[in-house]
Amino acid sequence: MSLVTLDPGAAQAVKSLLLEGRARGPIRIELQFTGCCDPSLGLIVDTVRESDLVEEVDGVTFVISPETRELSGEVKISCADDKERNAFLLTSSKPISEWDGLITCSLRM
Amino acid sequence: MEQFKLFIDGEFVDAADGRTFETIDPGTGLPFATVARAGKADAEAAIAAARRAFDKGDWSGLDIAARIAILQDFADHISQQGVRMVMTECMDAGQIVGYARIIVMWASLLLRNLATYAATKFPFEEEIMASGNAFSPGREFVRREPVGVCVGIVPWNFPTALAMWKIAPALIMGNTIVVKPASNTPLTAVILAEAAKAAGIPKGVFNVIPGPGGELGKTLCTHPDVDKIAFTGSTEVGREIMRMASDTVKKVTLELGGKSANIILDDADMDLAVEGACFGTFLHQGQICESGTRILVPSKIYDEFVDRMKKRAEALRIGYQLDPTAHMGPVVSKEQLATVEHYVQLGQEEGAEIITGGKRVEVEGREGGYYYAPTIFTNVNNKMRIAQEEIFGPVACVIKYDSDEEAIAIANDSIYGLAGGVFSTNIARAERVARAVRTGTMWINNYHVFAEYCPFGGYKQSGVGRELGSWGLAEYTQIKRIHVPYFSDRNTNSGFTLLSDNKKIEGFNYNCPTNVVVGHGSLSSIYKLVVDQGCRRALILTDPGVRKAGLADLVKNSLVDFCVGIYDDIPQDPDLESVDGATAVARELRADCIVSVGGGSVIDAAKVVCVTLKSGGRANDYINRWYALSEPQTPHIVVPTTAGTGSEVTSAAVITNKTAGRKLFLADPRITPNAAILDPRFTVTLPKEITVATAMDAMTHAVEASMSIMSNQICDGQALHAIRLISENLPLVVADGRNEKVRLNMQIAATMAGWAFTVAQTGLAHCMAHTVGTLYHVPHGAACGIVLPKVMRFNVDHATAKLAQVAQALGVDTRGMTERDAALAAADAIEALMEKVGHPMRLRDVGVPQEALGACSLHAIADSNVLFNARPVGDPMDVYNLFAQAY
Repeated sequence: MSLVTLDPGAAQAVKSLLLEGRARGPIRIELQFTGCCDPSLGLIVDTVRESDLVEEVDGVTFVISPETRELSGEVKISCADDKERNAFLLTSSKPISEWDGLITCSLRM
Repeated sequence: MEQFKLFIDGEFVDAADGRTFETIDPGTGLPFATVARAGKADAEAAIAAARRAFDKGDWSGLDIAARIAILQDFADHISQQGVRMVMTECMDAGQIVGYARIIVMWASLLLRNLATYAATKFPFEEEIMASGNAFSPGREFVRREPVGVCVGIVPWNFPTALAMWKIAPALIMGNTIVVKPASNTPLTAVILAEAAKAAGIPKGVFNVIPGPGGELGKTLCTHPDVDKIAFTGSTEVGREIMRMASDTVKKVTLELGGKSANIILDDADMDLAVEGACFGTFLHQGQICESGTRILVPSKIYDEFVDRMKKRAEALRIGYQLDPTAHMGPVVSKEQLATVEHYVQLGQEEGAEIITGGKRVEVEGREGGYYYAPTIFTNVNNKMRIAQEEIFGPVACVIKYDSDEEAIAIANDSIYGLAGGVFSTNIARAERVARAVRTGTMWINNYHVFAEYCPFGGYKQSGVGRELGSWGLAEYTQIKRIHVPYFSDRNTNSGFTLLSDNKKIEGFNYNCPTNVVVGHGSLSSIYKLVVDQGCRRALILTDPGVRKAGLADLVKNSLVDFCVGIYDDIPQDPDLESVDGATAVARELRADCIVSVGGGSVIDAAKVVCVTLKSGGRANDYINRWYALSEPQTPHIVVPTTAGTGSEVTSAAVITNKTAGRKLFLADPRITPNAAILDPRFTVTLPKEITVATAMDAMTHAVEASMSIMSNQICDGQALHAIRLISENLPLVVADGRNEKVRLNMQIAATMAGWAFTVAQTGLAHCMAHTVGTLYHVPHGAACGIVLPKVMRFNVDHATAKLAQVAQALGVDTRGMTERDAALAAADAIEALMEKVGHPMRLRDVGVPQEALGACSLHAIADSNVLFNARPVGDPMDVYNLFAQAY
């Protein structure tokens, strides 16, 4: 099973944002707190850590810690409806949050 | 394992698709109950039930007392379920038992208390005593009505209390509600449904649908039958809810995330501050949205504070939540535990130092539980992610600062603004800091204190709206204004005339409450008039001339020991500053009554002093406002020393705003003087020029009131008799100023003209006179007299009959004339009278430059009195031509 799958358009959107931000990646899929609504998955440009799981998808490198991977399973990244906000929807085969599928996140540089 | 169902339309039911889910005890990591898992169909069924129930009116239409009685039963049934609720709350949410006991008890208490508050104190209906609309008087009131179908989305940290924060106000105010509890903690909401059913809350009023937010949220937040959403949770989810709700413009209240600062000042009681910092961060394992997780500590006590806080944190006992000796239980889920660990790692990578904690804890016999040690980071910079992002766990960030201002800046450097704390032995200093922090709640020398009558909610991205207290109840209502006019008549509706060529207003409201005492020696009445107003401390306001003439002292002597002073610094054409100066003296002398002795300037200034003295503030707070006062003002007795203004009985005051370069009005029935004394002894010394000019002011009041679109038969009678009195007595006064009989007739004429125009209003002549008075200091009466005949001719085809009557009152023999000729003869008669008494005839004679006429016309047409002129005034050239004629 792969770490990450990207919907059509998501890869291009990520690449554009990296270009705009003059960042090279990789992009970490991480746990982010969302208070009393359970944690959620987020995206942040980061460095690779020794224990990370790494995968390149459509020319973009993603990393995820084994602990997060254990909780989430495979992560699917798609563009949210609202393209203006550069928002992404992250869902996982093992939902992290009861709000999975509703919360969007942006790519943090 | 116990099984729980959905509660829809008064029945406990399985999910439509039969799905269930397990709920986990975070202290053991093991499931302990199964719950029906609601899906889209169940959400739609619950919304439909709530809609039916609301529209049927079995709940929303109940008298508040009947509704509250059922809710008191509901509270009792919750109390009966108390032990079960506490156990369930502990096992579902991981709350330690000592805390859960208080929280569950509070849930029923807040329902009972808010219900009683609403029934006895909430303003379901409010009168608007002063509407601000001078043209359409009537009863104005506001009703608070229920919003309709509400959705309450509840988080997992306080499943019972935060459900009740939504259920209580929704039901108290007559709404119906669908509650979606958090999937981690779905059980106590279902138990609340059992209590609601037992209490007899009608079917469909209260519904509970446990299930995943991602699946149910869209239905709940977009369904057209939902009117309001109340959500407690994260800023991220709240943002999506607001976005979804916007499509159907639902009302939304959001209580969202926080990263609150707990500010320890350098004079804080160290023991208290350390305890407050630990309590603010580690209570309920830090899983509270307002937790004070950024602890700001001044440099000079930093080391000692950190050392003592570390010792205190390490003394906290972590245990299974049902162990009564435990201070801290588990975090709510394994995902939560993993996220705490992730952020602790991030903090270390960012350079912060862990001085205690930073690891999982195993509790003997509960090895599968999600326990984490209380953790303190030092060397934290406020820009670090651990200082900016909400860590919903037992993790404190201690941040050093050097001044109160720096602490405030750090506290405010956050996207959140939910709460915060200040610890200091100097309450004034602590309050200064608390006021400067931009959050919805600030605790001084305390933390995490809630109360059902106190509002809770956030600034910035911490939320929208407030929960609890009257503010929280109001969030569950719609505001409806109801207007019932004085007149239900199309010909008396001034708004309707905008679509009509007939501008004349038929009906009228004659409200002239001044007690007028008339005659030689009537000043003596003032002793009783003051007592009638319940007063004992009268301040005389006057001007230097009147004071010098001895008239103010005459009044003082009549007041005997009721006079607390004479203020004689009121200038002609008083401005805002002179009113404020008089008010300051009145306040200093603790005056409870104002006696004005003078002409229009003194009386008008006194009217505004009466307002500022009673209602507070400065003159500028009230000027240029119409019908804005909602209660009687400081009592005011007038002794006029001129016969012209009529201000002794009118509801208007004219004050100059030097900055704006205009004369501005305060118009309100509440400033009408309480009493007026017309004693001719006060006018016999008036010089001829002023006698003539003020008389023409009164004449203009009477003639313009008669011509006005607001004229009526009472005012007409007063206006015509005033015209007759002035016409007959003014030449006699000019001939013999000491003649008290004719002086008194002139006073009566001025008062009657005042009564006439205070109801019927004036017109274009006054607009023009105000203009040259403001710009070129032309005495008001003289300016009125000069322009009045021109305006009468301008209006001749719109007030023909009225002007013909004016002609007769002026002594013109109109027999044989057409009505129009008679009307024009009135203007001629005014000019003849003016010439006879030596009144100036042209604007050039009183200092108005010819080149100013254009600017004057633009100034005059903007005066509000044009609204009442008999002939509509819309073209500045018309006004210019009149100024040119008068020039």
